[in-house]
Amino acid sequence: MGTLGAVAAPTWLDVVDETTRLCQTYGRRDLVERLRQQRSQLLDPRLWVVVLGEPKQGKSLLINALINAPVCSVGAEPAEIPLVVRYATRPTAELVRTPSPGRHGERGPEERTVVPMDQVASCLRATPRRRAAHESLRVEVSVPRALLASGVVLVDTPSVDRVDGAGSRAGGLPRGDVVLLVSDATRELSITELNLLLQLRQRYPFVIIVLTKIDIVPDWRVVAERNRQQLATAGIAASLIPVSSVLRLHAARTHDARINEESGFPQLIAGLARFRADKAGSLAAVTAGLTARTVIDQLAAPLRAELADQSDDASGATARLYQAQEAVDELRRTTARWQNTLNDEISDLLADIEYDLRERTRQILRVVDHAFDQADPLSAWPVVQDWLKTNLAAAAAANDRWLVQRCAWIARRVAEHFRDYGYDALPDGVAAPGADRAADIPMIEQPAVERSTPLQKLMTGLRGSYGGVLMVGLATSLAGMPLINPISLGVGALFGGKSIRDESRSLLKQRQAVAKAAVQRYVDDFFMRVNKERRDAVRRAQRILRDHFLAVTEDLQARIVQSFRSAKQAADADAAQRSHRQRHIAQEMRRLAAVYEQAQELLAPRAAEVSSRVAIRR
Amino acid sequence: MTSRLSDAVRRLLTDVLARYRDCPWVVDLLRDQLARLAEPPRIAVAGGRSSGKSTLVNAILGEEIGPVELTDGRPVFVWYEDAPVPRITTDAPRGARRELAASRAARGLRVDAPGSADEVVDVVVGGRRRLLRHMTVVDTPAVPAAGEESRAAVAERILRVADVVLYLTPDVRGSDLGFLRHAHEGMVAAAAPTNLLLVLSRADEAGGGRPDALLSARQAARHQGRHPRIAPLCLGVVAISGLVALAGRVLGEAEFGALAALAAMPRADLEPYLLSADRFVSTSASLPVDEVARRRLLARLGLVGVRLAMTLIRVAGCDSRAKLAAELVRRSGFVELREAIGRYVVDRAETVRARSALLAVERVLRAEPRPGSGELFARLEQIVVGAHEFREIRLLAALHSARVRFDAELAREARRLLGGDGTEIIARLGVEREARRDELWARAMAALTRWRGLSDDPVLDTAQRRAARVVVRSCEGILAELAGHYYL
Repeated sequence: MGTLGAVAAPTWLDVVDETTRLCQTYGRRDLVERLRQQRSQLLDPRLWVVVLGEPKQGKSLLINALINAPVCSVGAEPAEIPLVVRYATRPTAELVRTPSPGRHGERGPEERTVVPMDQVASCLRATPRRRAAHESLRVEVSVPRALLASGVVLVDTPSVDRVDGAGSRAGGLPRGDVVLLVSDATRELSITELNLLLQLRQRYPFVIIVLTKIDIVPDWRVVAERNRQQLATAGIAASLIPVSSVLRLHAARTHDARINEESGFPQLIAGLARFRADKAGSLAAVTAGLTARTVIDQLAAPLRAELADQSDDASGATARLYQAQEAVDELRRTTARWQNTLNDEISDLLADIEYDLRERTRQILRVVDHAFDQADPLSAWPVVQDWLKTNLAAAAAANDRWLVQRCAWIARRVAEHFRDYGYDALPDGVAAPGADRAADIPMIEQPAVERSTPLQKLMTGLRGSYGGVLMVGLATSLAGMPLINPISLGVGALFGGKSIRDESRSLLKQRQAVAKAAVQRYVDDFFMRVNKERRDAVRRAQRILRDHFLAVTEDLQARIVQSFRSAKQAADADAAQRSHRQRHIAQEMRRLAAVYEQAQELLAPRAAEVSSRVAIRR
Repeated sequence: MTSRLSDAVRRLLTDVLARYRDCPWVVDLLRDQLARLAEPPRIAVAGGRSSGKSTLVNAILGEEIGPVELTDGRPVFVWYEDAPVPRITTDAPRGARRELAASRAARGLRVDAPGSADEVVDVVVGGRRRLLRHMTVVDTPAVPAAGEESRAAVAERILRVADVVLYLTPDVRGSDLGFLRHAHEGMVAAAAPTNLLLVLSRADEAGGGRPDALLSARQAARHQGRHPRIAPLCLGVVAISGLVALAGRVLGEAEFGALAALAAMPRADLEPYLLSADRFVSTSASLPVDEVARRRLLARLGLVGVRLAMTLIRVAGCDSRAKLAAELVRRSGFVELREAIGRYVVDRAETVRARSALLAVERVLRAEPRPGSGELFARLEQIVVGAHEFREIRLLAALHSARVRFDAELAREARRLLGGDGTEIIARLGVEREARRDELWARAMAALTRWRGLSDDPVLDTAQRRAARVVVRSCEGILAELAGHYYL
C-alpha cells in the first residue's frame, strides 16, 4: 500500500471519530455503538470475511474448501447461528454468548463454553432453542491453517431464506470487511439475491459473488455471463469468481496443483489476500468512508425532513394571525350591518304603528259619526260613551300587541348578525308588553248641549202662533169676525206647534253636531296621546337594542383584538424561532456536509482501484 | 363408492348452474367443470425458475418434447393431451382451436402464438400416448419469486387449471411453503388437502453432486415428508432427478455404447475426467469417446448421471441398454413419483376431479353471493365434510410417509383397504378376481372387526386410533357396496 496508506490511515480514523462525535451530539447511541464497532473492526489487522447466501448454495463447503478442513458440516440441517473460523495453533471450538448492549451501550462480559469439535454442527443447529432474547450467539472454531494465519477470519452465516426478502436483516448482518455472496451455478442470481446485494451495498464496499458448483454444471460460463449482465443492469459493482469446492478438496487430497488451479480457489484466495494486505489502507478508508456516509445520511434525514416540513407548511402561528385579521374585518362589517338593520326597521316600525293607530281610530270615528247621524246625543250618550271607551281601549291594546311583536322581531333580526359570534341573546325589556292602557283612557265628557225648557217651548209656540192668529184674524175680520176667533186661534195653534217642532229639530241637529265634534276631539286627543306613547316605546326599544348590541360589539371587538394581538405575537415569535432553527439546521447540515465530503474523499478514488485489482485476475 | 361423490358433485354443479344461469363467467366455468368430470385428471408441473419442470414433464412423457416456449417469451401453459393425430394448437376465441407452427430449437420447441403481450397463452400439444389416456399433463410457467407482483396470479391460475399439482423445488424454501400454503386457502381446499405433491427436483445436484447425491436426496425427501411444517401441506415429498430419469427413459443404443466404452476404461484413467464437467468435455482428453459424443452424454445425463452410469455399468452389472435405462429410472426416483401419481391421481381420478369441481363451486358462491346461494353453500359443505374419499387419500399419504405407523402387516392391510392398491372392492380386499360374493363379505367383515378393535385399542396412540377409524369407515363402505346400496 506504500505511502498512500500511511497518509490515508489517520484520515479515515479522523473521519470516523468526527462522525462519532456528531452522533454523540445528536444523542444517537445506536450509531455511536455501530461506529465504535466499525472502528475497532477496521483497526483489527485481520480481514473478516462474511460468507452469505441462500440455503443449499454450498456456503459451508466453500469455507471447508478455502481452509481445507472440515469445520462446517455440509448438507446437514441448516445452521441457525453464525460460525466464526479463525486461526489458532491448536483446534478448538467455543460457543460464545454475547449479551446485547444495555440501555447505555455497555456490554456484559462474553460467556464462552468449550464445545468438542465433533459437536460443532449440532451446536450450530440446536442452540437457538437455548438462546435468551437479549443475547447473540456464535460458535468460534479455531484451526491451524495458513490462510487463517495470514490474518483472515471467515464467518459462515445462517442462510438467507425469508419470504419477505432480506429486508429486515440488514441490521442483523454480522460485521465484516468483505462479503462473499455464495450462489451456485445451477441457476442464475435470484431476485432475493439481487435484493440482498442491493442491501449489502450500503454496508459493505466490497462484495464478491462466488459462483459455486462449477464442476457439475456444464454451462456455468453462460450462467456466470448472465449473472454479470444482471449485476451490470442492477448497477451493482461486485466481482464474480467461479469456483468448485469439490475440485479444491479433491486437489487438496491428491496434492494436484492443476486441479487446484481449475477449482478457481487460487483466484479467490489471492483476492482475499489482497484485501488483507490493503486492510489498513484503502479497504479501511473506503469502508470507513461508506460507513460515515451512511451514518451521516441517517443523521441528516430528520434534519432534512424538518426543513422540508417548515418550508411547505404555513405554520400554525401565521395561519392564526391571518384568521385574527379576518375576524377583525368581519366584526367591522357586522357592526355596520346591524346598525343599518336596526335604524331601518325602527323607522319602518314608527310609520307602521302610526298608520295602524290612525286607521283604527278612524274606524271608530266613522262608527260614532254614523251613530250620531240618527241618535240624539241626549239619550244615546252613555251608550256611545261606553262603546267608545271599550273600542278605543281595544284598538290601543291591539296596536300595542303589534308593537311588541314587531319590537321582538326587530330584536331578533338584529341579533341574527351576531349569531356567528354566539352572541344572539336578546336584551330584556324590548319585547315586554306595554302596560294596559285601557285604564288610562279618560272618560269622555258629555258636551254642553242646548235643551229646550217648557218655557222656551211656550215662548217659541207663542211666537210662532202670533203670526198665524194675526194673519188669519185679519183675514177673518174682513168677514166680520173678530180678530180673535176660533179659526185664527186654530191656525195660531197650528203655527205655534210647527215652530215648536222646527225649533226642537234644529236643536237636535245642533246637539248632534256638538256631540260629533266632541267625539272627534276626544278621539284626536286619544290618538295624539297614544301615538306619543307608542313613539316613546319604540324609541325606548331602539335605545335598548342599540345599547345592548353596542355593548356586545365592543365586547367582541375587545376579544378579537386581543386574539389578534396574541396571534401576532405568536407569529412573530414563531418566525423568529423558525429562522433561528433554520439557521441552526443549515449550520448543522454544513457540519455534516463537511464530514460527508471527507468521507466521499475517502471513497472516491479507491473503491474502483481496490475492486479492479480483484477483478483484473478473473 | 366414488360414484356417489361424483354424482353428488354433478348434481350440485347442475343446481348452481341453474341458479347462476344469467352470469356468463359462472356458466362458462361450471360448464367447463362439468366437462372436466368426464376428462382425464390434469396434473400440473409447477415450480420456480429453472426448477426442472420441463425436464420432469419430458421424463413423465418419456419423450423429449418440451420445453415449449413462445418466440416472444410470454409465459405459456403447455397442455399435453391425448389426441389421435400429433399436432400443436391453441385455444382461439369462441372455442375454436387453431393450429400453430412450431420449430425445433436447441432444446424443445419454439411456437409462434397470437395474442397480446400480457396474456397467458395455452398451447395444447396433442399426441397418441398411452399415459395421456389416464391424465393430462400441464407444464406451467415458472412461479415468480416471492415479492414479484405476478406471483399470486400465476399461482392462482396453476391451482385453478390443475386437479393435482406437482410442485418442484430443488430445496424447500420459505417461498415454496408460501405457494403450498396458498393452495390451501378456502373451505374446500383446506378440508381436502389432497392435490399437492412436493417434488425435490434436480436431486442429482443435491449436496454439490456428491456420489450419493440421489440417495441423500431421497433421505431428505423422507425427512421433509415427516416435517411438521411441510407434511400437512402436501400428500408427500418425492426426490427425483428429472435429468437422470429422462436419460433412462430415452437412452439410445449409441449413448449406451459410449457409456460402456468409457466404463470399460481402467478406473484410474477415467477418474480425473469425471472430476468436473469441464474436464469431461475437454478436447485434450485421451478417451475412447470423441468430444461431441461426450458433450451429448453430459447434456443427457449430467455429470452426476455419467458417474452414476459408470458405477451401474461397472458394479451393478447393467450390461445392456435396457438394464441401464431401467436402473437409471429406478435410481432417479422416478419410480416413486410414478407410483405416487398412480396412487393419488390415476386411481383416484374421480375424487380428484370432484375436488376441482367443488373448488369451482366454492369460488362461484363466494364471488357472487345471491339469495339461495347460502343453501347451495351448505350443500357444498355437506358434500365436502361427508366425502370419505379425501380422508382415505390423506391417510394413505400419512401411512406412506410414515407419519402414522403400524406394524408392517397392519400397515399393508390398511393401505390395501384404503384403496392404495386399487380402489375396486377386490383390490381393497386383496382377493382374486373370481372370488365369490360371500367370500368377499366374510373378508370385509373380518377386516371391519379387526379395525374396529384397533380403533379403540388403548395401546395405540391417538393418531393410530384415528387412522383405524378411517379404515373402519372404508370397510363399512365395502360392505355397503357389497350389500348393493350406497352407504352414508
